[in-house]
Amino acid sequence: MSTDKNTKQVDLELRQFIKNLGYMAGGTALLTTMPWLQSFTTGKLSEIKNEKARVAILGTGSRGQYHILNLLRIPHAEIVALCDNYPPNLKTASDLCPKAKTYTDYRKMLESKDIDGVIICTPLNWHAPMVLDSLAAGKHTFCEKSMALTMDECKAIYEAYLHTDRVLYFGMQRLFDEKYIKGLSMIHSGLIGDIVGIRCHWFRNNDWRRPVPSPELERKINWRLYWESSGGLTTELATHQLEVSNWAMKRIPESVVGMGDIVFWKDGREVYDSISLTYHYRNGVKTTYESLISNKFNGLGEQVLGHKGTMELEKGQYFFEDVAPAPGILQLINNVEKRVFSTVPIAGPSWVPETASKQKPHYVIEGMVHATSGGSMVGAENDGSDNLISAFCQAVITGEKAKDIVEECYSSTMLCLLGNQAMKEQRKVDFPDEYKIPYLKF
Amino acid sequence: MNTAYSHYYDASSLFHGSLLNIMGTRLDAVFIETDKALCELVWQRVVAELSRLDKMFNRFDIESEIYSVNLRAATESVIASDELMSVLINCKRYHNLSLGLFDVTLSDFNAVNLDTEHQTISFSAKNVSIDFGACAKGYALEKVKQMLVDANIKDALIDFGNSSVLALGHHPFGDCWKISVENPFRRGEIVDEIELRDEALSTSGNMPTHLKHIVNPGTHQFIEDEKIVSVVTQNSFDAEVLSTALMIANPEEQGKILAHFDHASFKEYIL
Repeated sequence: MSTDKNTKQVDLELRQFIKNLGYMAGGTALLTTMPWLQSFTTGKLSEIKNEKARVAILGTGSRGQYHILNLLRIPHAEIVALCDNYPPNLKTASDLCPKAKTYTDYRKMLESKDIDGVIICTPLNWHAPMVLDSLAAGKHTFCEKSMALTMDECKAIYEAYLHTDRVLYFGMQRLFDEKYIKGLSMIHSGLIGDIVGIRCHWFRNNDWRRPVPSPELERKINWRLYWESSGGLTTELATHQLEVSNWAMKRIPESVVGMGDIVFWKDGREVYDSISLTYHYRNGVKTTYESLISNKFNGLGEQVLGHKGTMELEKGQYFFEDVAPAPGILQLINNVEKRVFSTVPIAGPSWVPETASKQKPHYVIEGMVHATSGGSMVGAENDGSDNLISAFCQAVITGEKAKDIVEECYSSTMLCLLGNQAMKEQRKVDFPDEYKIPYLKF
Repeated sequence: MNTAYSHYYDASSLFHGSLLNIMGTRLDAVFIETDKALCELVWQRVVAELSRLDKMFNRFDIESEIYSVNLRAATESVIASDELMSVLINCKRYHNLSLGLFDVTLSDFNAVNLDTEHQTISFSAKNVSIDFGACAKGYALEKVKQMLVDANIKDALIDFGNSSVLALGHHPFGDCWKISVENPFRRGEIVDEIELRDEALSTSGNMPTHLKHIVNPGTHQFIEDEKIVSVVTQNSFDAEVLSTALMIANPEEQGKILAHFDHASFKEYIL
């Protein structure tokens, strides 16, 4: 296994940030609004430094392999088993971690006593049976987003979660992405004023297909393109951004309207390649969601619109509607927020207004300009996925249950499925009462 | 039309207000105060007062009192408001204390007659015009200081267009406010660091874009040296007057002028 010193401590930066929050004025209050981060500290890491979470990868396709690469850089993780029913992917994964035992039947794998945690990266229609079986087998369980293919399956998983003593995580990596954590906390501190609207989009220009060696494997390999195994662009992409939208709003929408079509990729697929959805919150704020995969000009992003400013979370930058603070004053404010006493570089001859007043961005993390294009079909680097999987492995060792992660995934998945229903039935769909859980605030 | 913006940072109990297009520049105010509502109330008062003063001191605004005085005082005695009268009396005092180098007419303040009995202003020469550009910010900052004192806001930093800074109390994590003076000719180069506590800092100087904006009222020559001067005093109006006068004065005059002011510290930076 890889033991590269430089790349091993993949999650330290965020851990240090969370720890420092504890020392900051208001930092503890901030942490109570993001409870899933409370245990994600360097201190917790040193408590478990001699222990390893023995994990299995269930589904060794591209996303499974992506997690394997991250896990190899996490000292408190050990990959002990791999499972897939598609031999080429299992072989690739096995080459990455040759010591891990391989399985083709996941139920067989779940019988193994040598596995503490299972990481599920399979097509969406497999999420529910595998999560439920894994929990029933007494395994701590991590499953990729979205939660499940149907609302009933989501509800079943939620019920199982309420009754299990096992740890359950879902792949909501923005919850562990520093620029989102900071950006959302700035929004909640009132930086951009009242939220008046949210615009989310994800644009790509590719057919979303994987090569198929033989025609009978089409539905197995290109599972994303068929309703029997996928929710299409909503469950595969929008789920992350709808989660962020709810995180910003601290509530969830009560209804959705939308339209979906196959505009360009008319190749026999069933799921839409172009969707437009509008989610309506009770206070009148709307989140618009646009996604299509035959033009990538706009990439991906979430814009939170406030009456004083705009936060672009994915880009980690924000704009003020009218007056931007002077740079020296902004530096002073940033330092006070970090409890640092430093000089304010402002004195000099009179400041004279510049004639060209273009809106300039300010950055959530100083010196950071790390935005993904959204083009990767596997996962971007530094998007919080490594932190998230590290947090899961820590929890596998400590047995500490995740806070809010299941609920956040349930909410955003439900919104995806309701969006699909609105598009298919071409009508406004309200959030059904029978699927409301106590966590949800409308 | 000026634009005001404000934001309260709960975690740090820090209030920040910005006001753009005020007296030809901008103002940023930082209050360290746990009472958010009080901060907002004081900020509203500050914005209203600065807007009022901007209008009063703006010689280009045909509705301002100073516009009317400049237009008519050479041909008639113009009745002035209490406030304008008192500002001009102060300016006269500063004119004398600065050996004539601080001059709101930029040429001949002696031609301005202030009749305190009838509260009128007249000019004894043509082409006299009053320009408060060199002191309005200092006067305004004294007003702001009074508002903060009245509201019992003890720790605050007010940056009025970089050239005029008022510091009350101290930084939340220090025992003063530390201000760096930047070299306007080489961005990012710090020429000095000044510690302020219940003090005002005024900086005068030239910039690459504005080399001819300070004039010696005696010789009518522009001061074009690549230098800046900074003055720290307890009173913003004093600081404002001194930074302008000392920018113009030669070393001998600088010593004489400073002798008239208590607790004023002065620095000159040749860039």
